[in-house]
Amino acid sequence: MSKTYFDETHCAIGHPKSTFMQWMLTVDHKRIGLMYAAVMFTFFFVAVFTALLMRFELFAPGQQFIDGPTFNQAFTLHGVIMIFLFIIPGIPAIFGNIVMPLMIGAKDVSFPRLNWATFWLYILGCCVALASLFIGEGVADTGWTFYAPYSLNTDTNVIMALTAAFILGFASILTGLNFLVTIHRLRAPGMTFFKMPLFVWGIYATAWIQLLATPVIGITLILAVMEKYFGIGIFDPSKGGDPVLFQHLFWIYSHPAVYLMILPAFGIMSEIIPTFSRKEIFGYRTIALSSASIAGIGYLVWGHHLYTSGMSDVAKSVFSFLTFFVAIPTGVKFYDWIATMYQGKIVLSTPMIWGLGTIITFAIGGITGITITMIGVDIHLQDTYYSVAHFHYAILGGVVFLMFAGMHYWFPLITGKMYKETHAKAAFYIQFVGFNLLWFPMFIAGWYGMPRRYFDYLPEFQIYHQVSFYGALIFVSGLIYMFWTFYRGWTKGEPSGTNPWNATTLEWHMPSSPPPLENHSKVPYVDFNPYEYHHGEPVVKFNYETMQRID
Amino acid sequence: MDTNTIDYKKERAGYYKVLIGLLLLTAVTFIQPHLFMTESNFLAQMLIAVLKAWMILMYYMHLKGEKLIIWMVWFALSIVLVFFIIVIGIDVANFNNAAGSYITSAPNAN
Amino acid sequence: MSHEYVPEIATDREGNEHVVQGWQGDFYGGKLGFWMFMLTEVLMFGAMFLVLAYYNTLHPQDFIDASASLNRWLGGTNTVILLVSALTMGLGLLKMRVGDVKGAKLMIWATILLAAVFLIIKGFEWTAEYNHGIFLMHDKLLVGTENSLPFGQKLFFGMYFTMTGLHGFHIIIGIGLMLWLLKRINAGKVSQDHHILYWNIALYWDIVHLIWVFVFPYFYMIGAGGVTGGH
Repeated sequence: MSKTYFDETHCAIGHPKSTFMQWMLTVDHKRIGLMYAAVMFTFFFVAVFTALLMRFELFAPGQQFIDGPTFNQAFTLHGVIMIFLFIIPGIPAIFGNIVMPLMIGAKDVSFPRLNWATFWLYILGCCVALASLFIGEGVADTGWTFYAPYSLNTDTNVIMALTAAFILGFASILTGLNFLVTIHRLRAPGMTFFKMPLFVWGIYATAWIQLLATPVIGITLILAVMEKYFGIGIFDPSKGGDPVLFQHLFWIYSHPAVYLMILPAFGIMSEIIPTFSRKEIFGYRTIALSSASIAGIGYLVWGHHLYTSGMSDVAKSVFSFLTFFVAIPTGVKFYDWIATMYQGKIVLSTPMIWGLGTIITFAIGGITGITITMIGVDIHLQDTYYSVAHFHYAILGGVVFLMFAGMHYWFPLITGKMYKETHAKAAFYIQFVGFNLLWFPMFIAGWYGMPRRYFDYLPEFQIYHQVSFYGALIFVSGLIYMFWTFYRGWTKGEPSGTNPWNATTLEWHMPSSPPPLENHSKVPYVDFNPYEYHHGEPVVKFNYETMQRID
Repeated sequence: MDTNTIDYKKERAGYYKVLIGLLLLTAVTFIQPHLFMTESNFLAQMLIAVLKAWMILMYYMHLKGEKLIIWMVWFALSIVLVFFIIVIGIDVANFNNAAGSYITSAPNAN
Repeated sequence: MSHEYVPEIATDREGNEHVVQGWQGDFYGGKLGFWMFMLTEVLMFGAMFLVLAYYNTLHPQDFIDASASLNRWLGGTNTVILLVSALTMGLGLLKMRVGDVKGAKLMIWATILLAAVFLIIKGFEWTAEYNHGIFLMHDKLLVGTENSLPFGQKLFFGMYFTMTGLHGFHIIIGIGLMLWLLKRINAGKVSQDHHILYWNIALYWDIVHLIWVFVFPYFYMIGAGGVTGGH
């Protein structure tokens, strides 16, 4: 018999009676994942509304609502929250925690208490970041990249922001470490690496980046703090330091970080496509290994952020050459997904529509990335709206869209309820239209020379900013509509049953929905591939009492 | 776990052997600048350090026979190495405009 | 968890039974996790060495001159102290694994003592350097005064204080960990059969030693053959 929360509180410290304290002290991976989700989406909306504020300001040339320095702080706040608090920890901390142990048939992650401590470390980082808003000169105005030497000279709270990023980085390292050990040690018997679901592969590759790239940013931030207080001259040219070195160290982490964002998102895609095509995924091994190779190549390409920073010409050419390679494994994945859909029994449920929408938006984001890989083109487009649009197409239209897809996909697993599909689909179409209206004009504006991070602009760019503005309004209303649909689904939805999508992976073979404490009633023996369909029906069936195959 | 199959004397002897090796290498560190490879002092010192590190890793940290962990250590080290090759070997080795740069030839930078 | 952990059994279709690895009492998992943590240390100090090597490449002669002025004998003594402390830590672990708890505790105390001596010598060294006008935010390391050192030397000493300082910080944490370990041993939580905590703290102490193996020659020895010599 599996245990319930009534029998055992499963807490890091003691056995508290109150439900609230049971949540705060829980070591259960599913609850921790849900708490991450609650905190992260709160911050997500803060950052969304900061961005909306900037859109309001940019509606017409000249100053409308906020002045220049406030605008600088606004885009820094938007960047810091979105990057460090939301999107970098996002999918691993939420779905990695909730779903990954279920997928490999584990009772929990390898170090449940460390997982709990990591969550509170993350909260601590959030608090420090928030505190920098209200103390002294307010939030940093450097942009989320904290480029030296300006970040060392400004009076705003850069140091607090750096400290927050360091703490959040540490939380990220520990999450990655926990997941790596979990995947190495706690897979159900019989589940080899090539029998793991592809989301687990995505999390595995991500965890390696979290583990091995994050320390570099950690030490960079420490060196910047040392620089600020002890004036060593590491990054300050007036004391002999080289600001380009700061950029090197910063992007050694922050470029792999974008793969850290996208790899688990690709993992979600690789779950959704075979499930809703009712067909075994095409090229399982190529997708798994392309995740690993994106993680590997991702370490070698950071220099394409430094084309205009005064890096040596030889290094520029090398980086440009290396950067093209990332497109290859990414392309492999896309072709595999499309080949999976070919002759499948495609079911257009909400998660699948989000997935299909992402194929369009991420393709635009990816291909515009290829253009600015070339040094010559990049010199023209660096720090323009073109790169802003590219980044948001890749991250918002790739990572966040797939995160939403995952939310729709795993919603019945997590809540045991089903949302209204008609509302959810409508919310998708509204967001999809709003998204393209918001970002596509920026490609054109950037191409004509509209620089990023400016709070004023020439009148000829007004049309692009206004189209963007209306797109932003549509997008945000779609966003609110979607969360309202989730809320209605959670409170008033129909019970979904344990496997509403006819999916095959282990997280859908639970004794109940939502899953009980300590997960599967018994650990199954895994002698099957993750996506086995025959004539559109799942092959593997279990007796949920004994978890033995009965097909 | 390996608790029941420990040859205490043999393992202790191993620890002392490694200690002697490390002490000898430390002594070599000190006499090297006057004895050999005096032209490439830096290289010689780093080679000795690598040798010492290898002994510590293999014997003191019990890495011998740990396939998975050794693979991970190599992976991490090769990433560090890549950073060095790219940043030092490619970028700094081709430093643009060194003569005109303030940080390499400022008035008080000699 | 108060109740005894019993591993679960998974049964395959032929009826063969397979033991399921749980997260409880997973010795290898604990070791693996701690090795991964140490890889982050490698990357952290790796990045600092990168900074050091970066400025070394830009100012090679300054680095040799600055290195030559460090006190090589104090540094060398500290090297030997750390070396011996790694031995005591390892022997302590060995004693614990064969069940000699008393001997193990003695060895931990010896390690703590050696670590403290290391810190004291470090303190003398830094004081001497301060008196020579070399310290963070002090005299020769300020910019634009008549005593100011050239950029290369200034960066060398800046990184010297940063890196040996961070290493010293690791030593202090190590002492804290060892005191905690003693407490756990006294409480009976670490024993011959359950020594993962001891194992990992011993690994931690080795990585602290390992970092010093590279910090020492890079700061103290690269200028050893130079014309100026030591103090």
